[in-house]
Amino acid sequence: MPLLELICPAGSLPALKAAVDHGADGVYLGLKDNTNARNFAGLNFDEKSLKEGIRYAQGKGRKVLMALNTYPQPDTLPRWHKAVDTAADLGVNAIILADPGLMGYAVRTHPELRLHLSVQGSATSYEAVNFYRERFGIRRAVLPRVLSLPQVENVVKNTEVEIELFAFGGLCVMVEGRCLLSSYACGDSPNTFGACSPGHAVRWEQTPKGMETRLNGVLIDRYADNEKAGYPTLCKGRFEVQGETYYALEEPTSLNSLEMLPEMARMGIAAVKIEGRQRSPAYVAQVTRVWRAAIDSVKRAPEQFKALPAWMAELAKVSEGSMNTLGAYYRPWK
Amino acid sequence: MKLPAFPKSLARVVSRLPAWPPSAAFAAACNRAAWPTLGELDWSAAHGKHFRVHVKDIGLSMYLSVAPDGLRAEKAGPVDVTFTATAEDFARLSLRLEDPDTLFFNRRLLIEGDTDLGLTLKNLLDAVDWDELTRRMPLGMGRLAQALRRRTGGGDTLAALP
Amino acid sequence: MKLALGPLLYYWSREDTLAFYESALSWPVDVVYLGETVCSRRHLLRLPDWIELAEKFADAGKQAVLASQTLIESESDLKALRKVVADRRFLVEANEWGAVRLLAEARHPFVAGPTLNAYNPDTLALLADLGATRWVPPVEMPRDMLASMPVPAGMETELFAYGRLPLAFSARCFTARHYNLQKDDCQFRCIEHPDGLVLASREGEDFLCINGIQTQSARVMSLAHRLDELKAAKVDLLRISPQARHTERIATLFRALLDGTLAPADAPAKLAPLMPAQPCDGYWLGEAGMAWQPERHLEEITP
Repeated sequence: MPLLELICPAGSLPALKAAVDHGADGVYLGLKDNTNARNFAGLNFDEKSLKEGIRYAQGKGRKVLMALNTYPQPDTLPRWHKAVDTAADLGVNAIILADPGLMGYAVRTHPELRLHLSVQGSATSYEAVNFYRERFGIRRAVLPRVLSLPQVENVVKNTEVEIELFAFGGLCVMVEGRCLLSSYACGDSPNTFGACSPGHAVRWEQTPKGMETRLNGVLIDRYADNEKAGYPTLCKGRFEVQGETYYALEEPTSLNSLEMLPEMARMGIAAVKIEGRQRSPAYVAQVTRVWRAAIDSVKRAPEQFKALPAWMAELAKVSEGSMNTLGAYYRPWK
Repeated sequence: MKLPAFPKSLARVVSRLPAWPPSAAFAAACNRAAWPTLGELDWSAAHGKHFRVHVKDIGLSMYLSVAPDGLRAEKAGPVDVTFTATAEDFARLSLRLEDPDTLFFNRRLLIEGDTDLGLTLKNLLDAVDWDELTRRMPLGMGRLAQALRRRTGGGDTLAALP
Repeated sequence: MKLALGPLLYYWSREDTLAFYESALSWPVDVVYLGETVCSRRHLLRLPDWIELAEKFADAGKQAVLASQTLIESESDLKALRKVVADRRFLVEANEWGAVRLLAEARHPFVAGPTLNAYNPDTLALLADLGATRWVPPVEMPRDMLASMPVPAGMETELFAYGRLPLAFSARCFTARHYNLQKDDCQFRCIEHPDGLVLASREGEDFLCINGIQTQSARVMSLAHRLDELKAAKVDLLRISPQARHTERIATLFRALLDGTLAPADAPAKLAPLMPAQPCDGYWLGEAGMAWQPERHLEEITP
């Protein structure tokens, strides 16, 4: 059973190389369409770059995990099937799926292919994780960012499935796979379209009142000149509730669980995941370096582990709103 | 190391220049230096679209479009998307020393207009293989770019973390 | 077509909740979903209370369904879930895959709830195979997608047809956050907001609605005017989501609609004064969920 594998995002070939060069144990990536949950224009891999990415990563002994973690729809189901076939044919190390129907296809068609349950599968209990294990033989599950660490440990203790946790980056406040805020505002949701707040619905505008962010016309936030901004997602917007205007759901902030690494090591967390396939190779390099150093340090001497200020500063620099949170891992956040 | 700031006196001169010559100069330089590599990416989503690069600290605006054979200078006018940042931040972005989203969070990069087009351009530029790009640059330009990136703390010589 | 009263998504006082269901015994609905699906901290009614209500509805000739928790976090949540499954007298609505596992193991028939994310025929067939006798499509599913889903034989389709849309679930309680309280010490402030707490954009547009860990639409989904489209899409049951006031009158209007005594085109005007907010029907049209285009008719489905 692996321990604290570092899984880094790759939205492009240079990002993949940056991850590998800076110490990722594995990268995760997706194709250039709505078969994955980072379906943004200009991002992701076609067959040619995927081949090159697999060659590069596996040549250095690292893994390539392919996200096929949106929900296939009746008319376009063959596209997801083809993507599973492509992943199997090109020899990725695992595919990350959310939809049980698609898992059935993968098991039937490519029984040797290793399956991971995506965070989009919304499995928050070992009963759910074990369902996918029994039915489809999944080997790893990525848990939604809603459980506290003791709750995570309870899952780990009650399943033979490897558990992967989000460690750093953009923070979904909602249970992944169960959030339709984006489609309510603009028609496209992560589940079917593969993106939250897709570019076509977003408008940024510098106005005399400040920089405004709109999603399909709805004003999500307005930033004064000295205020840090966040992604144009609804959960990070400022709204008025009973006459009070504030970040009603969550501030623009990123998850950073680095200081919890010793706990995660003790609990037997198989892998930690860095969010950010939509981000640049520069981000991937910066974040991967820090996490590589931290994981090496915790594996060397867990008792002596300290989250170094230099690491934390480097991570804060690239964070949404330049802020970090422990999220749900730390119970009072809830 | 920080990139040198753009001299204020020069900024005043530049801001009074008509938009076309800088746009044309930039497009020509970019096509010569980078298009052999950039051209391998799929720019079809950007074809026919006009964009403006607004260097706010020196008051310079470049109007550009992407055609199948490279970047084109355009006359000043309405555009589909505008990128606004300082000269230094644009330089850091193009040397891949800075992550665009980080600059956005810090309010140092603004994308106005057709966001999808803006993100497409951003993501396409991120997908460029830097080593390949500089290797194929003419004359000493590639070496110069590599050296500049190293001197400003980028590339493989990123300061070792504790 | 049948009418279903969906699970109560809000937290009301025990008296109000019991009075609501006491009254609902005589409403013209065929199916009633009972149980707490949103927050495990809500405790004014416990499982034995819900089961007692279920028995009453069964005696009143209605089908009672026990609805399971949507977000399972702790061992005690699982314990509660196992108790729901163990009762075996009533159909159960499974709202996450842990419940599906337990129900399939117990060979107990179930309703596949809207958060199971059945977006394609393969997943729906799997659910049927596991024992689902009814499914509720994700609330964002457009008519065209629903119409192209081959529904397994013997499986009913129930559509969320009226109410504030349940859009998202979180570990965090946004109502507690609003009152600067931690979730573990939330003081159950959601009880003060029997139709949720509306969240408006900074331009004063009512947008979302906070209901504890759940985020709903501020607008009220209403498909009453689209009865013909619903029939053509082979919807078997229409789900009405409980609200603090007028639920009986809404159910009665829907019944009149099904009986043909109320014309679908007249429904919006009749329903408007009974709604806590503006209506929406965008999801059905394949658009932004918040859109409201009652005049737009979808073209007939071509097989």
